[in-house]
Amino acid sequence: MDNENSNEELDNQQQTVGQPLTDFLLQLEDYTPTIPDAVTAHFLHSSGFEPKDPRLLRLISIAAQKFISDIANDALQHCKMRSSNTSSSHSSSKGKGSKDRRYCLTMEDLTPALAEFGITIKKPQYYV
Amino acid sequence: MEQQINPYRKMLTTAISGVLLEIGLDSADRDVLETLTEMLQAFICEIGSMSRNYCELNGRCEPVLADVILGFVEMGVDFSGLQQYVKNGKFMVLPTLQQQQPQKQMNMLQAGKKQPLPTHIFQHLPSFPDPHAYIRTPTHKQPVIDYEAIREKFAIQKKDMEKALTKFLCRTNPIHNLFDNEEANIFPLIACKPTFPPYLSALLPQDQIFDVEDLEYTAKDQIQNQQPRKRLKSECKIEKIQTDDEEENGEVTMKSPEKENLNWDIDNPYLAATKLPLKGKV
Repeated sequence: MDNENSNEELDNQQQTVGQPLTDFLLQLEDYTPTIPDAVTAHFLHSSGFEPKDPRLLRLISIAAQKFISDIANDALQHCKMRSSNTSSSHSSSKGKGSKDRRYCLTMEDLTPALAEFGITIKKPQYYV
Repeated sequence: MEQQINPYRKMLTTAISGVLLEIGLDSADRDVLETLTEMLQAFICEIGSMSRNYCELNGRCEPVLADVILGFVEMGVDFSGLQQYVKNGKFMVLPTLQQQQPQKQMNMLQAGKKQPLPTHIFQHLPSFPDPHAYIRTPTHKQPVIDYEAIREKFAIQKKDMEKALTKFLCRTNPIHNLFDNEEANIFPLIACKPTFPPYLSALLPQDQIFDVEDLEYTAKDQIQNQQPRKRLKSECKIEKIQTDDEEENGEVTMKSPEKENLNWDIDNPYLAATKLPLKGKV
């Protein structure tokens, strides 16, 4: 009984969690993610997932895009912080430089950002 | 190298670049891009297999939204902010790829007609190459039999031969100079040998030669001419042996001075004995 209850609760929770997503799914046709549908479809096919509904494809595309976007955003913050630190330590007089600064994403910034997401990146000692 | 990259993966990289540009980054390292591409690919593949597993677990064969949601939950992806994300940003849309043109096969220059395969060879096997690749026909250049051309060729040959012979004799024999100045003998003339009775050669019949010895130039002469050279060579050998002896015995044996003088008399490089390189000399 207790188990059933908990299952029902879970179902309810999922419904509540999933409900906005269902509505969202209906609007998805208007948004085109950056990742092309065909590319997503190809990788999904490679893992045996073949949705008939193109909106599911879109949903996965957008989720994947958000995943990358979040990580990149985090890395960007790291990058900004690091560069501001170094610039302030080096020369505080150059205030203008920080405005039109060009940001380049490096592994140095990406590694801590990924660590926050629980992904450990280890640089190989050498390339073969 | 570039050709071997999976085009789908390349598109993923492009999409990631687009996302990074959207965020405000200007550039990214190559290994960063590669890492993100790998992650994105893994993400999509993983969500695909998760969703399929849930779908099959529920006894369906076509995935629905719930399967994908469960997949997200299983992977720990927070999808609550998804709607916000979609509404906030305007996504960059990648330009549609051009269909890659297959490399056009260059038309090989056809030479001759290809031979059909004989009956005992299967028809699906590759056909014969152009006949010129394996059929060999001997080619003969038709000799020129035009009279004028032959005469002309003969004349040229004869002239060349005479010129070369004259030149050779000028170098090897005493010569007369046309002009007295000794700066340059541009027009050397072969000195003629005065014979004792100058009219003798005219009196002796020369058109019919019965005895080989009567010939002006015979093989004998050549042998006689060559003999001193041979002697010199043998001399050299003797000298070598002698030098060896010198080294062994410490004796100094003098070479005959006359022969040496003979050797030095010849200034003409064409007639000089061949000098063998003395290898034993230290």
